[in-house]
Amino acid sequence: MSEVISASALRELMRDWLRQGKQVFGPRQVKPGLVLYTRLTDPEQLLVSGFIHPSNSPKEFVFPRHEVIYSYRFEGKDLQLLDAPDSFPEQIVLAVRPCDAAALPILDKLFNWDFQDEFYNRRRQATTVVTLACLSHDDSCFCTSVGLGPADPRGSDAMLLPAQDDEFEVRPFTEKGEASFSGVTRTSSKQAGTPSGPAKKFDAGQVRTYLSENFEGPIWHDETLHCLGCGACAYTCPTCHCFDIVDEGNAAGGIRAKNWDSCQFPIFSLHASGHNPRSTQPQRQRQRLTHKFQIYPEKFGDILCTGCGNCTRNCPVNLGVLNVLEAMKNGQPL
Amino acid sequence: MSVPQTFEPKIVAFVCNWCTYLGADLAGTNRLEYPANVRIIRLPCTGRIDFNLIIKAFELNADAVLVSGCHPGDCHYTTGNYHARRRWMLFRELLSTLGFDLNRIHFTWISAAEGKKWQQVITEITEKTREMGPYPYLAIPDASVSTVDHGESTA
Amino acid sequence: MIESLRATCRRLLETGTAQVVIGYGQADPGKAVHPVFIRRPEDADQLTWNDQCYPNLVAYLKRKEVQSLGKAAIVVKGCDERGLIVLERESQIDRGSLYVIGIVCGGVGNPKLDKCKSCGAHRPRFANEILGESSLLQDGVGQKWQALEEFLTKSPSQRMAYWQNEFSRCLKCYACRQVCPMCYCERCLVDKNRPTCIDTSPTLKGNFAWHITRAFHLAGRCIGCDECTRVCPVGIDLRLLNQSLAKAAEEQFGYRAGMDPQAEPLIGSYSLQDKDGFIG
Repeated sequence: MSEVISASALRELMRDWLRQGKQVFGPRQVKPGLVLYTRLTDPEQLLVSGFIHPSNSPKEFVFPRHEVIYSYRFEGKDLQLLDAPDSFPEQIVLAVRPCDAAALPILDKLFNWDFQDEFYNRRRQATTVVTLACLSHDDSCFCTSVGLGPADPRGSDAMLLPAQDDEFEVRPFTEKGEASFSGVTRTSSKQAGTPSGPAKKFDAGQVRTYLSENFEGPIWHDETLHCLGCGACAYTCPTCHCFDIVDEGNAAGGIRAKNWDSCQFPIFSLHASGHNPRSTQPQRQRQRLTHKFQIYPEKFGDILCTGCGNCTRNCPVNLGVLNVLEAMKNGQPL
Repeated sequence: MSVPQTFEPKIVAFVCNWCTYLGADLAGTNRLEYPANVRIIRLPCTGRIDFNLIIKAFELNADAVLVSGCHPGDCHYTTGNYHARRRWMLFRELLSTLGFDLNRIHFTWISAAEGKKWQQVITEITEKTREMGPYPYLAIPDASVSTVDHGESTA
Repeated sequence: MIESLRATCRRLLETGTAQVVIGYGQADPGKAVHPVFIRRPEDADQLTWNDQCYPNLVAYLKRKEVQSLGKAAIVVKGCDERGLIVLERESQIDRGSLYVIGIVCGGVGNPKLDKCKSCGAHRPRFANEILGESSLLQDGVGQKWQALEEFLTKSPSQRMAYWQNEFSRCLKCYACRQVCPMCYCERCLVDKNRPTCIDTSPTLKGNFAWHITRAFHLAGRCIGCDECTRVCPVGIDLRLLNQSLAKAAEEQFGYRAGMDPQAEPLIGSYSLQDKDGFIG
């Protein structure tokens, strides 16, 4: 026996959430061929099928691309300093892919490491994550190679598993998940199938060893030279979290803000002296792979990648981490 | 929504040092009155006026922008205004494609002897802009706020 | 034709005419095409050609990591080749030491990309060597401004609303800049920060400032390869901005970027005959 909800009842539930003043985010077809996780203002906008993975990631909703840390205004000779808001309306991110949800507990460790990042934590606490298990995958997906899967519960408050007749089995994993779906599901004998996900493409442990042994190896120059150094991979990645602090203002006032940054930009590691310890693209690509598959696991016990495939799909020249990881196999006993 | 009676348009004028600025100065020495709404920014030559300056003026709540320099053939640096002219011909196309209100961006040639013309141009632009009302660039209260509201594309 | 391409590559590397051949590779038929840098003759079999060869490889000539590999040979489609003309005119490449392998191209994409439907440059014109047959390729230049003209039926406030909507998605990833062969500044204006000129923040203000700046810095230089539009991860139709400037360049100055190697750069030059019609 399981608890199920129909697609139409799900949309009604979403309508209720909106009426209650909650913020709802989820996949939406923004233009033909483009699905993004974005704010939903109407239940009809929610997309629950017909796509593999949105072009962006839902980290936006706990770690926005631009966040004002404080702002200030000059009033004559007086300075008025305004802090960022310290509470947020409740938000629900709906129909999240399990790979994207699994990224959140991974990021939690970073944002609560040597410093409690209140900006992140406030939004995180106000967020309920409802995942949508995957029935299909494409060549860029590799969640199963990093210890996850198409119905993995990590990071999920509740999961929707597609069942027959346009219905979803609902599996709550946390109190938030239970509360979100209490009273709106019906008991049924339907059981959602267990999706299988992509075949394993590499061994993460062996990748970690390879990385620690091949810092100066030829793989970086051979396999990543075509990287053009944009931020498409980092910005659409659910686990990338680097940021830049900027000050913007004029004679009337201004802000200090936190913006996304990418280690692939040439100036990312540029020192004020003019020296750049990572002055070539292969060095920057090496940093990216090493951070995700060796350094973060050593520091936090988690791979900084959930196999969502966005980096490959969004890369202008079809690079992405998977291609490099698979190249580690060639000629190497991996 | 009616324009508040107290609306005073902010006109930003990027002018070249050798012609238009002196023309404005001549208006002054001749005691020709013109609206104080104009903020004059003096540059050596129209050739130096970067298109970004116009955008910045609007970002800082200008309601209209004027760019003015020496007549073709009279540039103090010989060819600066020819470069500027070509640049403006193209930039106006981009502004039009973006949906800027081209009625708010004006270009003139005003020489050092044309104090009267300066008075007329500024008066006219100020009145026109007062009628049109404020021009909040990007038309949202605070364009420096990020948004996760990706609207559906209307393309 | 692929065999000729690989043979050419081997020959160039064996004779030392080139030390690196920049082309397209595909690990296996199911996988995506990606740029390759062949430095040894025995690797020439990595080269391929098909209708998935999207990237404009000319963008790599500006990258110092590629420049340090030595004398280059490059595979170009007719649209890409226009970039070479512009780069040479702007003294960014030494055309004499570059070996250009021109590919006759019937269009990429399935369905064909918009730019291919109105292509008038199927056969590269200034290559050292041309590969491929061009018997059935039609000149579609007549439909060139179709997307732009449809867009221009919108009123100014509709246009501004459209761009606000589009730019609200922009992440400032700079994929558009990095794929562009014409964006070769060692330090881009948007990266300037002492003081900051263009906000780096992905706000409407910062995004408008960035896209206006990039579009205008490409006035008379954009070759219409449409790569910026293809690579945008959030689907912004950047072409429209560049096309409006290209159309103005053609209609007002009879100028097309990358067509005539002798032509003066558009914004870098002027004519006493330039007629504005709006300067009072």
